[in-house]
Amino acid sequence: MSVPGFHRPKSVEDAARLLAETDGARCLSGGATLVAMMNASLAEPKAIVSLAGIPELAGIAELANGGFRIGAMTRHAATAGDARLAGTLAVLRDAARQIANPVVRNMGTIGGSIGFADPAADYPPALVAANAEVEIANAAGRRRVAARDFFVDWYTTACGPGEFVTGVYLPPPRPGAGLYKKLARVSGDFAIASVALSAAKDANGVSIRIAVGGCGPRPIRADAADALLSAKFGDAAAAAAAGEALAAAADPVDDVRASAEYRRLVIPRLVAETVAHARAALEAR
Amino acid sequence: MSATAKAVGAALPRAEVREKVEGRAQYIADLYRPGMLHGAVLGSPHAHARIKRYDTSEALAVPGVHAVLTGDDFGDHRMGAFVKDEHAIAKGKVRYVGEPVAAVAAETEAAAKLAARLVSVEYEELPAILSPEAALAPDAAIIHEDVASYFKVFDTGSTANVCSRTSLTEGDAAAWDRCDVIVEGRFATQPQAHVSLEPCGALAEPDATGRVTLWSANQSVFRVQANVSESLGLPMAQLRCLTPRVGAGFGNKMEPHIQPIAVKLALATGRPVKLILTREEDFEIVRARHPFKLRVRTGALKDGTLVAREVEVLLDGGAYADDSPGVLGYSLFMSPGPYRFRYMKASGTLVYTNKLRFGAFRGFGNPQVSFAGEQQIDEIAARLGLDPLAVREKSMLRPGDKWFGGAEVGSNGLEECIARVKAASGWAKRAELEPSAPGRKRAMAAACTAHISGLLATGAIVRMLEDGSIVLNTGAVDIGQGSDTALTQICAEALKVPIERVRLASPDTDGSPYNWGTTASRVTYTTGRAVVAAALEVEKQIKQHASEMLECDAADLELRPGGRVGIVGVPDKAVSFFEVSARAHWARGGPIIGHNSLVFEKPSVDPKRAIAVGLPFPQIGAFAFGALVVDIEIDETTGKIEVKRAWSAADVGRAINPLAVEGQLEGAFVQGMGLALNEEMVWDGPRLANPTLMDYKVPTTLDSPHEIHSIIVEAPEPDGPFGAKGVGEIGINVVPAAIANAAAIALGKRFNALPLTPERVLRAMLGK
Ligand SMILES: Cc1cc2nc3c(=O)[nH]c(=O)nc-3n(C[C@H](O)[C@H](O)[C@H](O)COP(=O)(O)OP(=O)(O)OC[C@H]3O[C@@H](n4cnc5c(N)ncnc54)[C@H](O)[C@@H]3O)c2cc1C
Repeated sequence: MSVPGFHRPKSVEDAARLLAETDGARCLSGGATLVAMMNASLAEPKAIVSLAGIPELAGIAELANGGFRIGAMTRHAATAGDARLAGTLAVLRDAARQIANPVVRNMGTIGGSIGFADPAADYPPALVAANAEVEIANAAGRRRVAARDFFVDWYTTACGPGEFVTGVYLPPPRPGAGLYKKLARVSGDFAIASVALSAAKDANGVSIRIAVGGCGPRPIRADAADALLSAKFGDAAAAAAAGEALAAAADPVDDVRASAEYRRLVIPRLVAETVAHARAALEAR
Repeated sequence: MSATAKAVGAALPRAEVREKVEGRAQYIADLYRPGMLHGAVLGSPHAHARIKRYDTSEALAVPGVHAVLTGDDFGDHRMGAFVKDEHAIAKGKVRYVGEPVAAVAAETEAAAKLAARLVSVEYEELPAILSPEAALAPDAAIIHEDVASYFKVFDTGSTANVCSRTSLTEGDAAAWDRCDVIVEGRFATQPQAHVSLEPCGALAEPDATGRVTLWSANQSVFRVQANVSESLGLPMAQLRCLTPRVGAGFGNKMEPHIQPIAVKLALATGRPVKLILTREEDFEIVRARHPFKLRVRTGALKDGTLVAREVEVLLDGGAYADDSPGVLGYSLFMSPGPYRFRYMKASGTLVYTNKLRFGAFRGFGNPQVSFAGEQQIDEIAARLGLDPLAVREKSMLRPGDKWFGGAEVGSNGLEECIARVKAASGWAKRAELEPSAPGRKRAMAAACTAHISGLLATGAIVRMLEDGSIVLNTGAVDIGQGSDTALTQICAEALKVPIERVRLASPDTDGSPYNWGTTASRVTYTTGRAVVAAALEVEKQIKQHASEMLECDAADLELRPGGRVGIVGVPDKAVSFFEVSARAHWARGGPIIGHNSLVFEKPSVDPKRAIAVGLPFPQIGAFAFGALVVDIEIDETTGKIEVKRAWSAADVGRAINPLAVEGQLEGAFVQGMGLALNEEMVWDGPRLANPTLMDYKVPTTLDSPHEIHSIIVEAPEPDGPFGAKGVGEIGINVVPAAIANAAAIALGKRFNALPLTPERVLRAMLGK
């Protein structure tokens, strides 16, 4: 393995310029995925642009509106350990906590995870359920894309050539619950299927966002499911119907983790269980 | 330990554990030699094809490349433990995807890998045979056209794609007529990968005379020597085989991997060559656990007494015979389990297919037959409304009973194994267990097993150095299980010296006595016997010297703790080993050396009791016994099984090192859990779909139960070293069966295929 060009820019603008100008360049964040792929000859970038030297990509900052910005270089362990991500935002912490194992959680970053966009990864459905936005930079500037639109296809995001993720914006946390339920073959594996749910509760009632991971090219969501659950959160039949709606929206494939058919079978069951746990969490508040 | 403490029975950490924990242990990939080149192989893209021609010119043009070898550079020499059907590298044909077809030695690993990819091979594709059923079809393509002419070590009955067949029958089939209940079923088990932490590799260094020193990841330096010699047509004496630390072997490193190719590259270049497989190559080209198809029928009386069993198996052996004929024979031999049957018949067929070799893997066919047999005992118990362990107790082999076929069973601690797991697990109250949370089902179930430890030849040399310290040399490779420590303990105990006074020489085919290998749960038992006998030789010589020094009869002498020899009943009349050894070295008799070698000689089968056809091992080993209870929970949402607790009892004869015994039982349990619950090598057409640790998953610490209770039972083996027999494999045998039995109790459904994935379990629960 040899890489002709290794760059360590100090600003987002420099990084964007390098990525745009350098043919075959890829950005490097935690390296948990990219370096493993290079070792296995699955990726042979002509140049590497390390994001490690850009101060503004590090850490989780509270915003004026009460929301948060998670810098692209924030490690999974830091996200999992940040108690400010409470209420509806707890879904993200719960997902981060279940990624891989401690080694990978200390190494991998949120920018690398969602930039790579493995559909079985844990952040994508959690960010959809948290109603997050993804900030993308290019040589011309920056833009924000809703998480539900950011994930486009298998390993494909809204980032175009020369673009990269600089951060994730979370809305202010609302009182309620956020849960992430992951089914994997063994501890530390990617999900066979997962369910991310945020439940906001106030005087007007309950508002639910739910998304399914590992069951298609991108996180699976359904307006009908959110609406059904928001309208009748206590209702088992509504939960079952929401589960069916999500299973119908899913587009799973057979892989070494499980068959597509099993995933269709298990989605409504995982949804029902996650909803039941969320209700219990709301009642316990 | 103090001079008086007993070495045997001491729970000592392994001698080399500190080196491993500190990261200083040297494995094959850590070794370097001056002027060393790096090797790489090119794997076949086809499962079955004729090789038409090679073009190596592009590969040879890569800067730094010293040699590019293909099948044309290798003579027509074949190796194989039972059937000599395998060249060192593909020659004439390729028989599975990934099979090495060309090999390169170059200055750097990168150049070697690049050049290997640039070797172009022209193939004529042949139909790929990807299942044993396809192999047996009347018009099937033939994988080994010359199978009839291959050299075989026993009567295999090879024909067309059948590699071998074996049957063993004892008793009168009329026993079926007496049965009140008969259960019958078909079962299937999956291929499992060994996943030793260390992938396979080798380093070969030639000297000016053409003699080669070969280090490699292996379970037997002597099998390495034999296989390289056979497959390259070299005299064994031209090879010296050594071993660095081995990062585990579960059968995968017993027979050859790429050692012959590394040697050939070294001879071709005249330079040391190191060839280390990537994880992916290790998955694709080494070997794996056999998938079994089984048809099993078991019959019993109303009171639960077992009466008759018939077992028929079909084994996929992959592209080369390797250890498969042994696995077939052994699985049939073990298929009754540790029970008395009036009639028992076991027969099976092993076929070639276009997959990688299936071969030795901890349990050696026993987990597969146990998965079927031990479930049928539970089925019988359920039909009759009896306690499944009571059914087992009623028909279990008792001390003095012979094994299926008539082999002598020296010691038998099965009854105690069952009693201990029952007591420890709270078996009597198993119906009262509550699930840990709503939405979960919980059940406890059991299974029993036996296993051999033994087989073939072994030796030991015990040398006393000038200062009275001891060097033990056995040629047995410690693959991480702790045999170096156990053999040291045995030697120290036999000579009554502190364990620090005994050191173990590293295996070396030049200097060590022959040892067939670290396999078949055999090292502690067989090599331990040789160590005890060799130490006895040393004791005799010590006493001879001492009798002359103390002017007494040798018969009046005793060894005393701490390395002394003295007159019985006269405490102050003694000399030290130092004094004895100094005398031997400088004055009288010459250095003290004791040695012993033996081969396991007791017959597997008594021809007066049983009819055997094609049995691959006429003499097999001593019998160990075991019982297992598991407590599992099933998540009703997903179908995922979690093992909450396990109690694994094994009759090991004598625990030379209880800590190491527990390590083996725990490790075997977790590896068995992988087999039971999720591990499976999956093929996408002819190509392995999951040859990486991302896609192939073994259970982690977090998937293992917090409670794995290892229960040591000691029924001393009459000829074992201090009564010991083996424990390396027995703990894995019935893990899948016990978990399947528990799942059947929890769900009211039987599982006849492995692994019990969430998918398989949920579908069974929902009837889908
Ligand atoms: C053993 C193992 C187990 C794992 N298990 C899980 C799991 O259970 N769940 C889970 O969700 N993930 C899992 N992962 C993935 C892990 O979370 C990775 O850390 C993550 O996918 C990549 O993050 P990284 O920072 O290491 O990215 P890198 O390896 O540095 O980069 C990965 C890819 O993303 C690109 N990239 C990097 N940064 C950006 C950016 N800012 N914008 C756009 N593209 C970018 C790179 O060019 C590269 O193509 C696992 C990884 C490993 C090695």
